[in-house]
Amino acid sequence: MIPVVAMRLLAAAGLAAILGWGCASDTPRDTTRLTVGMRFEYPTPNELIGPPTLSYSAISNQFFLPLMAEQPDFRDGPPTWAPGLATDWEFSEDRLQLTVRLRQDARWSDGEPVTAEDVRFSWLAQTDPDIGWSYSFYKESITDVEVIDATTVRFHFDAAGPTALADVSTGLILPKHAWEPRPFAEWRGDPGWFFENLVTSGPFLLENRTPGQELVLGRNPDYFEDGLPRLERVVLRTASDGAALTNLLLAGEVDVATGLGATDAQRITNQPDLRLIAYPNRQFTFVSWNTQRPWFQDAETRRALAMAIDRQAMVDTIWHGYAEVGNSPIISSVWAHDAGLEPWPHDPRAARDALAAAGWTDGDGDGILERDGVPFRFELATFAGAPARWDAMQMIQANLRAIGIDAQPRRVEPGALIQRMRDKDFDAAASAFAIDTSLDLRYAFHSRSIPGGDNYAAYANPELDRLLDSFATRLDPSAGLEDLHRLQRILHDDQPILVLWEPLTLAAFNEELESVEPNALSPLANLEEWAWR
Amino acid sequence: MIRFVLRRLLAAAVLLLIVLTLAFAVVALAPGDPMAPTDPRIPPEQAERLRALYGLDQPLPVQYVRWLGAVVLHWDWGQSYRTGQPVAELLFDALPPTLLLAGAALLAQYLLGIGLGLLAASRPNSRLDLGVRVASLVVYALPTFWVGLMAVLVVAVGLGLAPAGGMTAAAAFELGPLAAALDVLAHLWLPALVLGLSMAGDIARYTRSSLIEFQATEAGRAARARGLSETRILLVHGLAHAAPRLLQLASVSAPLLLSGAVVAEVVFAWPGLGTATLVAIQSGDIPVVLAATAYGAVLVIAASLAADLLLTRLDPRISVE
Repeated sequence: MIPVVAMRLLAAAGLAAILGWGCASDTPRDTTRLTVGMRFEYPTPNELIGPPTLSYSAISNQFFLPLMAEQPDFRDGPPTWAPGLATDWEFSEDRLQLTVRLRQDARWSDGEPVTAEDVRFSWLAQTDPDIGWSYSFYKESITDVEVIDATTVRFHFDAAGPTALADVSTGLILPKHAWEPRPFAEWRGDPGWFFENLVTSGPFLLENRTPGQELVLGRNPDYFEDGLPRLERVVLRTASDGAALTNLLLAGEVDVATGLGATDAQRITNQPDLRLIAYPNRQFTFVSWNTQRPWFQDAETRRALAMAIDRQAMVDTIWHGYAEVGNSPIISSVWAHDAGLEPWPHDPRAARDALAAAGWTDGDGDGILERDGVPFRFELATFAGAPARWDAMQMIQANLRAIGIDAQPRRVEPGALIQRMRDKDFDAAASAFAIDTSLDLRYAFHSRSIPGGDNYAAYANPELDRLLDSFATRLDPSAGLEDLHRLQRILHDDQPILVLWEPLTLAAFNEELESVEPNALSPLANLEEWAWR
Repeated sequence: MIRFVLRRLLAAAVLLLIVLTLAFAVVALAPGDPMAPTDPRIPPEQAERLRALYGLDQPLPVQYVRWLGAVVLHWDWGQSYRTGQPVAELLFDALPPTLLLAGAALLAQYLLGIGLGLLAASRPNSRLDLGVRVASLVVYALPTFWVGLMAVLVVAVGLGLAPAGGMTAAAAFELGPLAAALDVLAHLWLPALVLGLSMAGDIARYTRSSLIEFQATEAGRAARARGLSETRILLVHGLAHAAPRLLQLASVSAPLLLSGAVVAEVVFAWPGLGTATLVAIQSGDIPVVLAATAYGAVLVIAASLAADLLLTRLDPRISVE
């Protein structure tokens, strides 16, 4: 009898221990530590072979630094740059050379100094074809990186251009002494090697990594900024699903969650201990009307489509208000946005009148408009796996059906749709662009980008081409503001694309955190300054 | 017995080859370019470079032979298009959590199912029996993702009786062995229960019918005539009678457990094969999708073979020769 009782007691104790371990506890918060939930896994600390995403870069920037850091002040004017590993920089008179001086006190976490050799090594790696870095195009204008002395480096350009600082500062400075032993040709084959040979110059070190679960960042004691980072440890936990991430946040198992969906955000708004932040992210979602197809060849018809589609309803119902109706590819949070542009109003009656004026009538009485014997019936494609866009396609279908247009939504695998759009083998399609602050939009609207390129609408306008070319070569972008306004007016009037919305990025934080300022450049911006009150 | 096992292994190898070939063909012939840059600022030449790096510029038959050769000869499943990690390494990390979750779920489904079946069979056609049968049907019909979401919301977020997700607490690498084990168990019990629940209904129904059937057999009547208690009759003799049938269910439930694990892992942020597969499918990471398909096939074949071998041990009427 006793052994049975003992066994039952033991089982009960075990069960209590397991349940007790998992129960939420009231132990005081460890204010030296922060747990951040993210929706992806960090596969390698080498950004040249990592995924080209903002979330990935946000973590890499905790380990490594760029020479200069772009500031999130793009609402006020062209981008400005703050010192990173560089203390100062100076262009030659012809702007074909840029001399950069490095901090004297910057060290790798193994004690080695950060030198000009590291800068040259990074450029060689960034431009090496065997590595195939996604953003190597930023380095195309740089012809050489010359080491002047241990802390001075000179960049040589093939031509003077407005994006020189962006070109130089894109990409992080990598540790030559630690990574040079591995030939560039082998970098892509073994991303895990870089975890094993990681030395950092940024605010954090790698303390531990559990694949699929978490990355533990520890304070870098050799970081050159005194008193930073303020936290001793940051744990980055992975949850691939938005709802699961929100649950972790609501249960208090993560203190910060980034990349939340609008539906997830709804669950957070009434939590007193959590703060929801919504900020612009420099993206816009749009529908491209293929102007090589009979339905979309004239601007009058495209304007009618803009008036038929209720974009505010999309923002209200799909995004629960966490987006804005868009009306220009130069989005409203960027300095050059033309605030004088009014979005085309949702006005089905005006849309119907405009279509009639453009020659679209329902001659056969089947409820679908025709022109020259061509019924207004087309395929409206979007990426599979993009639920917000798919919902929008359904709403567009309903809006257009009300004025006699039959749009047939279809989901297509992303790679296949991009290829079809580049080949102009589509009718109309929804996709999204992220713009950088260079505001060089030639890839999307210049007539040179029609064959095989990303001018999906196949829109050609000589005046627009001239404006795009002129702006791209201006050394002072702010002097080109008038050109950019004119450019936006043309696109607004001609409507080769209909900008649907500008989404906001959603992140939630524990109320007790201070100095948290995520922005369009990084969800973990200024992480080294974050702290508990 | 050895000949039987060898025969089954050979058949399994052929089946696996067919699965691999079909999976490769389906994925390779699907439209789309996994290397197409989604950021329009990345020039098309970059995609060409990556295609060459991953061997995607070769004709399909060459790609297939190279891929299969690397898998068979070196267990090299290629590199993830999304992260660049070797796929074998990625799935090696993801497999143990899935096996742990599926194993715990299997245990949960049998403990729950047999327990409920015993209860129902002890009072056939009573209200208790009816209740168990209705409950079994209800849990069988409920989708795992819904049960999982409700369990997280009520048990974890609402009541705080379990962690809301993950396999360990944050920074669990610092814990000692006992604390680490308790931590994993605390994270495991709820997803395992949710995953096991759907099949538990089936087990309960099979157990009940087998036990009632046993009571009507000569063996059942003889046991009662010898004066054995009802509990002993059901627990010892009845369950021995039901065991082969219940074991057969294990091989049926293996694929269901694996597919259920995909859902449960996502809902509970469990870092296993299911999560890895879902992320790979969503991001067009073909090498991971292919390898995960093969791993799934191997697990199902292995479970089926193990169940068959155990069955021959438990049921003397079954011969493998």
